[in-house]
Amino acid sequence: MFAYFLTRLASLALILVVMSVLIFLVTQAMPGDVASMIAGQFASKEVVDAIAVKLGLDQPLIVQYGRWAAGILQGDLGRSLVLEQPIGPILMEALARSLVLAVVALVVVAVVGIALGVLAAVRRGKLTDQMVSGISYLGIAVPDFFWAIVLVLIFGSYLKLLPTGGYTPISEGFLPWAAHLVLPVVTLVLMLLARIARLTRSSMIDVLQTNYVKFARAKGMPESVVILRHALKNALLPTITVLAIDFGLILGGVVVIETIFSYPGMGRLLLFAIQRHDLPLIQATILIVSAAYCLANLTADLLYAFVNPKIRHGMRAS
Amino acid sequence: MTDATSIRPAPRRLRMSALPGSLIVGIVLLAPLVVAAVAGSWLAPYPYDEMNILSRLQPPGPDFWFGTDEFGRDVFSRTLVGTGSSLLMGVAATALSLLAGVPLGLVAGYKGGRVGEAIMRAMDVLMSFPPILLGILVLAVTPPAQWKAIAAIGIVYVPQVVRLTRAITLELMQEEFITAAHLRGESATYILFKEILPNIWPPLAVEASLRVVFAILLGASLSFIGMGAQPPSSDWGLMISEARPFVEQAPWIALCPGFALAIAVIGINLLGDGLRALLDPRNMGAH
Amino acid sequence: MMTAPQAQPVLQPAAAPAVTPAPAPLLDIRGLTISYGNARGTLRAASDVSFAIRPGEVMGLVGESGSGKSTVAMAILDLLGGGGRVDSGEILFDGVDLRRLPAAERRALRGDRIAAVFQDPFTSLNPALTVGRQIAEPLIQHKGLSPRQAAVRVEELLAEVGIREPRRVAASYPHELSGGMQQRALIATALGCEPKLLILDEPTTALDVTVEARIIDLLAKLCDSHRLSALFVSHNLGIVNRICETVTVLYGGVVVETGRTGRVLSRPAHPYAKGLVAALPRITAERRHRLPSIPGTVAKLSGAVTACVFAPRCPFAEETCRSQPQPMRMDEAGDGVRCWKADALAGMPWPDEDAGAARPSRPQPQQSAPLVEVDHLRKVYGANRSVLPWLRRAGTVAVDDVSFTVGRGEVVGVVGESGSGKSTIGRALLALTEPSAGTVLFDGADLTERVRRGDQDLRRRAQLVFQNSAASLNPRKTIGAAMDRPLVLAGHGDAEERGKTIAGLLTRVGLPAAYADRYPHELSGGERQRVNIARALATNPDFVVCDEAVSALDVSVQANILNLLAELRDEMGLSYLFITHDIAVVSHIADRVLVVYGGTICEEGPIASVLRPPYHPYTEALLSAVPRLAEDGQEVPRILLEDAAAAPGGRGCAFAARCPRKLGAVCDEQAPPVHATADGHRIACHIPLATLAERASVFPELMGDDARH
Repeated sequence: MFAYFLTRLASLALILVVMSVLIFLVTQAMPGDVASMIAGQFASKEVVDAIAVKLGLDQPLIVQYGRWAAGILQGDLGRSLVLEQPIGPILMEALARSLVLAVVALVVVAVVGIALGVLAAVRRGKLTDQMVSGISYLGIAVPDFFWAIVLVLIFGSYLKLLPTGGYTPISEGFLPWAAHLVLPVVTLVLMLLARIARLTRSSMIDVLQTNYVKFARAKGMPESVVILRHALKNALLPTITVLAIDFGLILGGVVVIETIFSYPGMGRLLLFAIQRHDLPLIQATILIVSAAYCLANLTADLLYAFVNPKIRHGMRAS
Repeated sequence: MTDATSIRPAPRRLRMSALPGSLIVGIVLLAPLVVAAVAGSWLAPYPYDEMNILSRLQPPGPDFWFGTDEFGRDVFSRTLVGTGSSLLMGVAATALSLLAGVPLGLVAGYKGGRVGEAIMRAMDVLMSFPPILLGILVLAVTPPAQWKAIAAIGIVYVPQVVRLTRAITLELMQEEFITAAHLRGESATYILFKEILPNIWPPLAVEASLRVVFAILLGASLSFIGMGAQPPSSDWGLMISEARPFVEQAPWIALCPGFALAIAVIGINLLGDGLRALLDPRNMGAH
Repeated sequence: MMTAPQAQPVLQPAAAPAVTPAPAPLLDIRGLTISYGNARGTLRAASDVSFAIRPGEVMGLVGESGSGKSTVAMAILDLLGGGGRVDSGEILFDGVDLRRLPAAERRALRGDRIAAVFQDPFTSLNPALTVGRQIAEPLIQHKGLSPRQAAVRVEELLAEVGIREPRRVAASYPHELSGGMQQRALIATALGCEPKLLILDEPTTALDVTVEARIIDLLAKLCDSHRLSALFVSHNLGIVNRICETVTVLYGGVVVETGRTGRVLSRPAHPYAKGLVAALPRITAERRHRLPSIPGTVAKLSGAVTACVFAPRCPFAEETCRSQPQPMRMDEAGDGVRCWKADALAGMPWPDEDAGAARPSRPQPQQSAPLVEVDHLRKVYGANRSVLPWLRRAGTVAVDDVSFTVGRGEVVGVVGESGSGKSTIGRALLALTEPSAGTVLFDGADLTERVRRGDQDLRRRAQLVFQNSAASLNPRKTIGAAMDRPLVLAGHGDAEERGKTIAGLLTRVGLPAAYADRYPHELSGGERQRVNIARALATNPDFVVCDEAVSALDVSVQANILNLLAELRDEMGLSYLFITHDIAVVSHIADRVLVVYGGTICEEGPIASVLRPPYHPYTEALLSAVPRLAEDGQEVPRILLEDAAAAPGGRGCAFAARCPRKLGAVCDEQAPPVHATADGHRIACHIPLATLAERASVFPELMGDDARH
């Protein structure tokens, strides 16, 4: 288990390095002169050159990367060109807000999705199963932004039950804070529910046909024990992996969702940076979001190993 | 002596009744969309970009079946014409990921060793990015265009295709009929293309149908945030994005492309489910 | 050949049942009819099945695949699943019809009064829970024990089923235990609540012969000491003979015969039972014996029985058999048979197709250069030289320093259990895996080297017949297309000519030429295995490796294929490497046998010599573990081996860890010397040959065969 952890950690470090190089290369080496893009199309050559020197763009790429990477390792994410502030504090604040959104959505997806999947598998072929599959289809049939618009229309404009956008810090009270989270979370959940429910359903159906479930029934175990103790634990293994991937989808999805709900998180910051061509901010945001995603994957792998005795104990022996 | 007494020869033709129901429903849903994608501009009652200030934000009625937008353009015509652009995103991006992913996966699975290892590690790096962020990164630093969005989505799905192809290849390599092919002295090319590929493409077809759905949705999302199709295109994602400010007074502008998207997504999903059932080798030959 | 006196079953009930009035049966199945339904129609899995098990009695329920034996067992447990449905009949347990009980009450009986052990111990245990917890579950559920009390009881139970370290095993996960230990854990689970009835569904089929012998021994003891009744579902007549007092034979979902085990197996009354007993390969030193076989395959029933189910395959069938369903005829002793001709056929053996007509005996293998020479072959899997120290692995030794030859026209059997390396040897001989060390010469050339250089012509002369007849055919190709490729590669004429060759090959293996248009899934298992053989012959090979080629087949079909392989060898002068776990099968076809254990050859020689002393200690245990029918001779004391298995590749003898005759440290530390005799019999053991020769023969009846040679 420890060796496994070491291996995963080493590969994570490696991937982060490769990732930072990729992000850097894409942003710096893209066709189109970044300096003139920042300066605007009417700027004189001197202004463009001055910006290039200021950004260090006249130096070799490797030097530029070295300086950037060294800064990040010291906790310095650079300065935003547009906001003219250090990126670190802005980014961390936005990341924290986005993570709240993502984690709440992930938990809801996991709980509701797994429950629906188990229900559909147990009542396979019956009305419940078809209803779950219908709900799942509905969720993925239209893009998340369409759902967002519909939800805003119904709950915000017509029913006036929930705020349609914005954000209130939790320091101003739990209820207002939570109310602002409801619609974005529901939108994210609708997007991902179908996959988790269908996956859990199919792996649950597979597990329910195994010999050990049959043997548990032959031991006279009540159906609830058979399903919850014997089947679910094994059926969850593939779901855990997919949940980690979904966390990435959520992180990508927040770009759109936060825009619609005017939620001041990572996604909106990224879109802002893109619209203003704020290169250091783009780099930093994408790097931090990607790193968060890698950590989520690592957590999922460790969780998988922990839940799966074959890995947990197999590793102990070697 | 033979031990064959019970099996009678059976007709080998595919019968309609043998087709899975989901496949038929899927085709029925998708057929009008395909027609619209090919012949949308001829079928549309109005040119998709014809503005008419006098009939701005008209609700659905006999003249404009699904109303008009803020420039007085006919929503139905725009949706019809936008079919091509919206489906193209999904189909082209998926085709791209298959074209790049299947050969890589086959090689990684068949050759293994250092080559396979290198391919898989490269895919790991690609997979370490949250799915669309890498695409956004590319799109962010250059002027947006639809082909770039297609390329970005295509690249995002390459690792999944590689992984799936490799996994099936590895599984098939353990199969005894592959061993039998080695034994009769087949070349690597023959084994890859004649023995392995025919067994890979059914699961790949199912996977591809799912990918098309995700790619269409992702393409719509990119168009929605202004990184995909560009105005005045009537791409569905872009239409919904443009409809957003008027959604309270004129929800129909968003509704029509929304429904079109839903029909496409459900249709392709059903098609995928149907394919899965149809391509099961047990359903080949006699039924 | 069936003149042996009626043998006594191993297990005798304490009281003689023939004298005292028969006690009320514990389990009484009456007219049970079960069908499976799906979208494509219904399938009748059991028709009007009736039998009874008295308290303390062990009944065998035997039949081949598709006979419905497992279906009946599952119906008793109410675990049919998969669209299975009991249409009619009664399942009386202790006088109560289980079918009338509400589901909750039936569930409460399961695991408590009626316990079960299934076929595959590995898949029957939940990989995510510790073994101890799984054994404790029914104790907590049915007996209301606290987890702490249950844990104590679990250790007692594990000790009772012969596990030495119950505490450690209870804390283990299933994948950490060997197959034998897992099956013991399942048995311990079943015994936990002191059930009255055990349902044993092929409980040893997935295990190696030596492990099986121990489990059967344990089950016999437990049934005896706990006065348990059991329904023992099995396809293996030898094991049924060893453990069951009565036996019920199923065919096509119908009970065709029932009665005392000794009587049914020595004097079967129903033609199917006669065929089944006759087709069973027995250990024989008379290699040329042709096995009787049952032609045809089991027909699937969709509706009510309208004729004798066995009539299409029965050599004694008349018009009456095909037009009327047969009633069960019972006598006072409780023996029954479902055949109106049973009395007329009494004493008439199953027809031997060409009885007496000995197959053309080819001259013994010539002393010319051998076809295949294996020299110091070694294969290590999974070795990893990573830069990361925690990823480095020494690998697992599958084959360790193996040398032997296969002569032209010779059949060499390789006998071993799982993990013995026998399949790896076969794959190395066909250049499907590269040896880690050593060489394989085929007709004087290094096959691995030739194949690596791209020479495929030599390779085509060595072919393989697989165990899994389904997996070895591409599901998306017709039989004809599968057989066409080898011919195309060999540059074999135009399409029409190849078509004729394919038709010829199919006819040669006993299939209609029209099968070329079929897909693999449209054929039965036996037919597919014929196609596999035909395909292997298409390249006109000299040498064929048969890797468990008949193991997955039912006994009646197995005899068919075995006969076919023997015929082909005689006609075409083929050499075989016949890999199997079943020494009885090998004795029917092989000239010489290699007995392998832990990647090494522990004994080799002509089949007749290997079956007689002196034995290698492992061979002796293996032979004594083979279950046999009573009529084949006296039961010998079985040599039971420990479950423990040491990883092969050590310095000493691979068998040392389990050897009942281990001398001491020398066995662990030094490779055993090879004792050779004049007839090519070689034994690798530290024990002197003279000492080994002192042991009695496992097959006293074979000693008489010497006279005939």
